Amino acid sequence: MNDMAVDATSNDLEFSTFYVGGALCGINILNIQEINKHFEITKVPQAADYIEGILNLRGHIVTIIDLGKKLGLDPVTKDKDNRNIIVNSEDEHIGLLVDAISDVVLAQRDDIEPAPSNIGGVKGKYFQGVLKTENQLIGILDIDEVLKE
Amino acid sequence: MFEDDETLQMYIEESLDHLADIESDLLTIEEGGENIDLDLVNNVFRAAHSVKGGAGFMGLTTIKDLAHHLENVLGLVRNNELVPDSTRISVLLKGFDELENLLNNIETSNDVDISGHVQALENITKATLPAEQQDMVSEMVDIHLRDGRVFQQVSLYELEKYKAEGKNLFLVEYDLIHDIQRKDKNPIEVLNNLQKTGTIVESRIDFESVGTLETPAGPNRIPFQVLFASIIEYDMTETLFDISSQFIHAVSDDMVATAVELTDEPQPAAPVVKEEAAAASPVQPTPVMTEAVATPQAPPMQPAAMETEQPTPQVVTEKVTKQAQSKSMEKDLIGGKPQTSLRVNVGLLDTLMNLAGELVLSRNQLLQGINSSNVKATELSSQRIDMITSELQEAIMRTRMQPIANILNKFTRVVRDLSQQLGKSIELDIQGKDVELDKTILESINDPLTHLVRNSVDHGIETPMEREQMAKDPTGRITLKAFHDAGQVNIVISDDGRGLEPNRIATSAIAKGLITDAQVAEMSDKRKMELIFLPGFSTAKEVTDVSGRGVGMDVVVTNIESLGGIIELDSTPGQGTDIQIKLPLTLAIIPSQITSVGNERYALPQVNLNELLRIPASQIKEKIEKVGDAAVVRLRGELLPLLNLAEMLGIQRTYVDPVDKTEKVDRRQNLADRRSKKHMTTEDAMADETEDTIVERGDDRRYHSSSAMNIAVVSAGAFKYGLVVDQLHDSEEIVVKPVGRHLKKCAAYAGATIMGDGKVALILDISNLAQMAELSTIAEAGQQAKAAEEEAAANADKVALLTFKNGESEHFAAPLSIVERIERIQTDTIEQIGDRKVVQYRGGSLPLYELSQVADVEALPKREQQEVIVFKVKDKELGLMVTPPVDALEVTLDIDTSTLKQTAVSGSMIINDHTTLLVDIFELVKTMNPEWFTEEAKVAKNMAEEGEKILLFAEDSAFFRNQVKGFMEEDGFKVIEAEDGLIAWELLKERVDEIDLVVTDLEMPNMDGFELTKRIKNDPKYSHLGVIALTSLASEAHIEKGKSVGIDEYEIKLDREKLMSIIRKYLNL
Repeated sequence: MNDMAVDATSNDLEFSTFYVGGALCGINILNIQEINKHFEITKVPQAADYIEGILNLRGHIVTIIDLGKKLGLDPVTKDKDNRNIIVNSEDEHIGLLVDAISDVVLAQRDDIEPAPSNIGGVKGKYFQGVLKTENQLIGILDIDEVLKE
Repeated sequence: MFEDDETLQMYIEESLDHLADIESDLLTIEEGGENIDLDLVNNVFRAAHSVKGGAGFMGLTTIKDLAHHLENVLGLVRNNELVPDSTRISVLLKGFDELENLLNNIETSNDVDISGHVQALENITKATLPAEQQDMVSEMVDIHLRDGRVFQQVSLYELEKYKAEGKNLFLVEYDLIHDIQRKDKNPIEVLNNLQKTGTIVESRIDFESVGTLETPAGPNRIPFQVLFASIIEYDMTETLFDISSQFIHAVSDDMVATAVELTDEPQPAAPVVKEEAAAASPVQPTPVMTEAVATPQAPPMQPAAMETEQPTPQVVTEKVTKQAQSKSMEKDLIGGKPQTSLRVNVGLLDTLMNLAGELVLSRNQLLQGINSSNVKATELSSQRIDMITSELQEAIMRTRMQPIANILNKFTRVVRDLSQQLGKSIELDIQGKDVELDKTILESINDPLTHLVRNSVDHGIETPMEREQMAKDPTGRITLKAFHDAGQVNIVISDDGRGLEPNRIATSAIAKGLITDAQVAEMSDKRKMELIFLPGFSTAKEVTDVSGRGVGMDVVVTNIESLGGIIELDSTPGQGTDIQIKLPLTLAIIPSQITSVGNERYALPQVNLNELLRIPASQIKEKIEKVGDAAVVRLRGELLPLLNLAEMLGIQRTYVDPVDKTEKVDRRQNLADRRSKKHMTTEDAMADETEDTIVERGDDRRYHSSSAMNIAVVSAGAFKYGLVVDQLHDSEEIVVKPVGRHLKKCAAYAGATIMGDGKVALILDISNLAQMAELSTIAEAGQQAKAAEEEAAANADKVALLTFKNGESEHFAAPLSIVERIERIQTDTIEQIGDRKVVQYRGGSLPLYELSQVADVEALPKREQQEVIVFKVKDKELGLMVTPPVDALEVTLDIDTSTLKQTAVSGSMIINDHTTLLVDIFELVKTMNPEWFTEEAKVAKNMAEEGEKILLFAEDSAFFRNQVKGFMEEDGFKVIEAEDGLIAWELLKERVDEIDLVVTDLEMPNMDGFELTKRIKNDPKYSHLGVIALTSLASEAHIEKGKSVGIDEYEIKLDREKLMSIIRKYLNL
């Protein structure tokens, strides 16, 4: 299992949060390259069903993954709030299609609690932990685990 | 060894660069013989010298040694003291090969044994010298400096040589730290500068004077000694070398003393010995040079030191350098990644820089234009950016392009060495050296090309003796030619050797079990030659170490095909072989055909594309057939399996709902369904279409009744198939981009590319698609269909007909089997004699007829020239004048024998939408020349008087039955008809006593001719009967089969004359 976050030296962590399949999830902001709303997506027939397609991101081919389907939640419903979160994983850019983007949340390393085996129907292994805020519970995603084939 | 990565890397690159052209230079020198081209020799000499200079400094003793000896020999050539003959050049070539080898494996170079090369080179040098000087060549001397230090192991021969040239010798001591590094210089630069004013005899680092980290003061001086020969006087040197005069020592004769005992062991050079001393006693080496002087004061003590210990030089150097080499740096050096850097023309770099500058400028303009919403400015700058980008792309591509000369040049050497080895005389001609190819491709074609050239030398070109016997020039010729053609690079390797003998290759391939006899029987010569590309094939009777090294032509083909190239073979036995290789210019950008299915575009590499096929909606019904589950299309007589890309990829067809603007799944299924409804008339389709109320008709033409089927005919390896797509777009050059790891499992794609509009299109992998579709089974289905069809065709009595016209709208046909030939004659050469026409022809008169003479048809139109079909009846030739076009075709006879029957016309059928009358030539001749047939009439009369001859005639086609029966009866025979073999057999059993002869068709339902014959011949009751088989297609296999069951004669249907004469022969009439 990976460490709680990428930057092991700092105690302050920032998470970009977003909604996918009704759940509020977060990714360490250091994993994120950019968030965009390019939807000129080319479908790839015969690819796994969670693959939304491929996208031209300034000359690089980026695979877009429907994060809802990938996590086993409802597929992302197409509307104007959709965003691609482009993350860097194993030297490759991969886009995560999410329902909508929410705030950036600041947290202390100690605030993150271990993830239960199952959060809202999502397998626990996809999470590094959970973060409790005043009114919400944020599942912190383990990007490498999610993007494992 | 010196361990400054950058400097070492630079040295290696530079040295390899120096060596790159040496081979061809040496070969040219060899050609020149006694007429020495001084420029060339100087070139080679300088190369060896530069390598040597650097090597001394780097502590690469072996390289230095070898380069030194090479230089000596070259020096002799330069001074006209040595004639560069073939043996000497060979020694030099091998020496330089070894040198290159050492440079490529720099880290182990000092351990390589080069004594063989050194000995050979020394022998050459010695041979030119008078006896007393010969020893000098290998003799080493020490130079004793005034301060007592010794600069050891210098070649006496060399010193003498410079002295003889009137040069002064200096020992210059640079300090790597103060004189070079602190002054921002680079050791190699320094050496190069020195070379401008003189010659570097030796250069080395005086490690002994450096000291170790343990010394309190630390190393503050690394002396770098250069023994330099120049015409410059001592007082000038301070300025020249840019160091204080105390470090410059003029070398005079008295300082030179023989290095006793060391001469036997030239390998461990001086520094080594000194280092040992340094390592052995930590007190002696001190950072200051003057203190270091103390150590080797007495030369005789040296050998003792050497005997005591044998550490390698690295031991010391590692101490000197701080052992802080990072791992990655070491890897770079030792892993010796070959050719990681690329030499780019500075002019090209300038162009790139310029373009980058312009790009930035245009971007600024564009931003300004956008900010100020100035449409015109935006347009202008976008145009500029467009232009600059194209230029930039081209310029960057050019940096990757390398002249093919880089690899072609080395073949001069390959051919030279090989031909010498094989005792052949071969001239190599290289053309098109300037042609440029992408670096990656260039590197990968090296091996295949080498193999092909070696093959040409080994197997292609004959020995001079053989050539003379064949009246050829005893010197063979191999041409290597590179040229651009149609966006591809072509490389042709041709030789004027013995060529390939198709049959020998075929026999060999059969013997090796690669193919079967039957396969060979159907092969053209070209195909037979191509058998050498099969894995496991080699034409040489014995495997020689030259070309037969377990690597066959199949590997060559695989290599070239993996580059997206094609290889073609052309050979004339006895005259030579041409092998043509076609390669793409680059792999990163490939020309592709853009197609689309649904809303997505797919790129199809042009290499795989054979042709594009468009089948109009109206013809889909006829052209597309179903075999089992697979659809096939008939393309020029071949059945081509079809793959529907949409089905293959499981693309769900969607359309945008006109009402709520959302994508909906298409209710209709796929193309194949429409195809299965192919009997649907146009009206039906229209109705269907309206039902569907598709608004976006323009976008999606599948719904249009006139929608044609678009097929890209592609091939990949053994597969050839048609890929059905919705639309075919332009051909474009696309840039191949890799896809992410989540898509690696999708075998259908070779990558992705970005189209002009910024959207991504997938690149199809043609051969994987074929595998996915399990195309082999489809191909088999196709084969089966073909076989079934052939069978059907045979059953349906296909006949080859010659079609022609009489009047403009009167179409006629005659069986091709009775046509002798077709001639065109001038109308004015036709002579009219009474009501007969003749033409002088091949020394005789050819009677000419026209159909209107006997049948109720139009008279022939008058023309200047007249087409004449020549028939042979009763051994006499006669011509039928017709109107073109004359054409031959194969049809299934379906003849109406009643409607249009008349004299000389046996019936009519529809051919190509025309009612065509079948001409009965025999009847025509008989009508015109009854006297030709008196004999037959007599026989018929006799038969009538003496008792009838009865023939049993089995034939399933009513037309043929009536036709043949007609002319049998005409000749006086009585005929018992049977519709198939079984009926014939029953009839035979009943009336065996009456029947005199059996005539049977071969292909018949229930019982075929073969079976019938077998029964007749195997039953003693009937075996006396002769059996004559009638067939429309008499193939060898058929005849063979027929003979084995006992068929006595074969005759072609509709060749009335022959059939009747055979019948008469059998009945002794």
